[in-house]
Amino acid sequence: MNVYWVALQHRLRDSTLLNAIGEAVRRWLRGPAVSRLLRRFGIDPHRYWLLIDLFAELTERREMLGHLGRDGVSLNMVSAVYFLLTTFLAGVQVLVASPVHTYYAVFLGLTAFLLFTVLLSETSNSLVNPVEALVLAHQPIGGATYTAAKLTHLLRVLGYMVTAVNLLPALAGLLLPGARWSYPLFHFFSAWVLGLVIALFCCAFFGLLIRFVPARRLKTIGQVAEASPLLLIIVAGQFRRILKALKVPTGLPADPATLRAIAIAFGLVAVLSVVYGLRALSGDYLVRVSAIMRGPSHAPARPPRRTPLAAAIARLAGGHSGAQPARAGFEYVRRMMFRDWQFRRQMIPMIPAAVMPLLAMFGGSRATPFGGRFTPVHLLPHALGAMLFLVCSILAHGSDYKGAWIFLTVPGSTFHGFVRGVYALLWTETILIPNLIALGFLAWFWGPADALLFVAFSLAIASVYLALELRLVEGVPFGKPVDTSRGMILMPLMMAGGLVIAIMVALQHFLLFHSRPLVLAVTLLAAAAAWLLTRTSLDTFEVSIRYHLGLVSQESTTLYQEING
Amino acid sequence: MPEAVVEFQQVVFCYDRTEVLHNISFALHKGEIVGLLGPNGAGKSTTIKLITGILVPTSGTIAVAGLPLPEEAIDVKQIIGYVPETAVLFDSLTGQEFLELCGRLHNVPEDTLQTRIRDILATFGLTSDRVARLDAYSKGMRQKILIAAALLHNPDIILLDEPLSGLDVNAAILIKDLLAALAAAGKTILYSSHVLDVVERVCNRVLIIHQGALIADGSAEELKASTHEATLEDVFRNLTGSAGLDTGVSRIVEALRS
Repeated sequence: MNVYWVALQHRLRDSTLLNAIGEAVRRWLRGPAVSRLLRRFGIDPHRYWLLIDLFAELTERREMLGHLGRDGVSLNMVSAVYFLLTTFLAGVQVLVASPVHTYYAVFLGLTAFLLFTVLLSETSNSLVNPVEALVLAHQPIGGATYTAAKLTHLLRVLGYMVTAVNLLPALAGLLLPGARWSYPLFHFFSAWVLGLVIALFCCAFFGLLIRFVPARRLKTIGQVAEASPLLLIIVAGQFRRILKALKVPTGLPADPATLRAIAIAFGLVAVLSVVYGLRALSGDYLVRVSAIMRGPSHAPARPPRRTPLAAAIARLAGGHSGAQPARAGFEYVRRMMFRDWQFRRQMIPMIPAAVMPLLAMFGGSRATPFGGRFTPVHLLPHALGAMLFLVCSILAHGSDYKGAWIFLTVPGSTFHGFVRGVYALLWTETILIPNLIALGFLAWFWGPADALLFVAFSLAIASVYLALELRLVEGVPFGKPVDTSRGMILMPLMMAGGLVIAIMVALQHFLLFHSRPLVLAVTLLAAAAAWLLTRTSLDTFEVSIRYHLGLVSQESTTLYQEING
Repeated sequence: MPEAVVEFQQVVFCYDRTEVLHNISFALHKGEIVGLLGPNGAGKSTTIKLITGILVPTSGTIAVAGLPLPEEAIDVKQIIGYVPETAVLFDSLTGQEFLELCGRLHNVPEDTLQTRIRDILATFGLTSDRVARLDAYSKGMRQKILIAAALLHNPDIILLDEPLSGLDVNAAILIKDLLAALAAAGKTILYSSHVLDVVERVCNRVLIIHQGALIADGSAEELKASTHEATLEDVFRNLTGSAGLDTGVSRIVEALRS
């Protein structure tokens, strides 16, 4: 798909008419009118365009792939995925003849949600991961100029996303009963306005964070902020209940004057937040950059802990000859999973999504699945599988990916034990420990026999998931730069995964858990399948590490060509 | 002459179609400290990467401890310690954790590994900093960690690319003494650097690479005698063709005035 996009873009670029239009727009943007406007906001136009060109050049050389807004290929792919999703959604709504206002609200809500998830992450990546800013901090560049250049690509994301999510639904809205001819224009215009407000809000939000949060805490706060859209979904459901419990009146006052006053107050606070947020960004951002970058240096030094259990597990996984490499894999991945900034950045937003099924499971864990009634505990192995899917798909990416050279200097045979150590860690921490915790509760509620059988089933099924998903780890863990487009593509994949999980749970409930011997037989079968699949997946993982290291060793070649070119 | 530990024979290396090493042949012997000199871009780092097995030669043969590369790269990596020029580390790990990772990847038994880490860190004065994350380390401290990581598995061949970069005077003296002691213990050391007086004092032999070709191979005294120069710096300038040339300093000053 990438190749076709690039080919198409090249063909379009070659078009003389498009070239002429592009050149005219470019000249106008860099001309005196826009320059005057930029100066009015404290932005030096000359340096602003220099920075824009620099970032474009670095992106072209595939040096800056962490930012979706600067990576045209990834942005195209993400937009295409959302375009397909919203086309499907619009088609369904037109077929069921939804009321126009419901249709409009659904797409605006969807636009808001998607933009929040993407733009919060983009803004955070731009402002709280200021690698380039550190390089440029000693240059005579104003904070406003630099921030404006960094945030320009947010508008690009906005253009792509709003168009992808709303273009076809806006046109399809004409087919709804009672829709006016002007509906597409109204729909598209309001989506754009909403998008701009959200983009400004995101910038202001991080501006306020930079203004008030100590620099060393900024990275962590930024990560939590990225999880806020999903957190809001969870909290929103419980918000009314919490207010009731606190005996706070939940109904809106009926008096229009009070309502108007509340609306004005909210509007004022929102405008002030945006204004002060943006001012904080443009003020002394470059001065604070060093402190933001060096944030983790303030992490407290902890005395080294001996980990005999980890050593024993690794020895078991690696065997006699591979015990030390297995321990290396086990300890390395365990530590990096908790500390690597990029990994945490991608995992923290998923915590709310993981908490919801867990709460549901424990809420309904009193009913045994063998009793004929549906219980959410059926979800346990699949929820662990879903979590492992996420972990495995991002495990190869990290902040300090250039440190992967260290693996080039070790004998290739090391990786046999190393991958087994990584596997042992994932299996122990993501499958064994949660199931053992569940076993304690379930044995209390259901009796030991049923609990043991269910947990054995859960262990076997989750192990099959891990065996399959281990193939997603493409290279040395934490040895590659983060690919933002991958994260965006994960979302529809996870939706499809949710559907598969629903089918599996239905099969468990309706067919399997009526007979204990049948569950036992399926457990044994799944365990055998997991064992076989794990063996082949470990071999594949080892090969992918070697392949990745082969690419790393060729990196200097690529640079050489580029400089020569 | 002691046995050859590293042998390059007619080695050619190309990045794509650009030949960057031309028919290089030399040998490193057991217990030698050999200096590798050359202007920027001459091919020093490429030569070192070829010995580590990270890069594969386009033609010619390389043997390390009698093992041909790249065929026996797995065994070769077990006996090589490598300190790269740029210290990119996993900053989320502490110094202790990084060294544990490197030692375990080289399959060093746990008890031996812990003893070596403790002793090396104590010698480098990093005992109290071992529990701090690497992103809090200074450039010199990171360099010490890199050198420690290269020594942990007790390699027979040690390849150092600008090892004194960022080190303070005391640490630099310590490393120079350490290199002499390691060579006396039978280790072979290849030392790439631009600091010529250090190379002159530390190394038994000097290789000079210029534009991808090996243009000199001998002790510092031999090179000085053959070129009739007083210092290694003059030898270097003479052989690399930079002696007597306009260094361009006056042009820079003029350009700044304009």
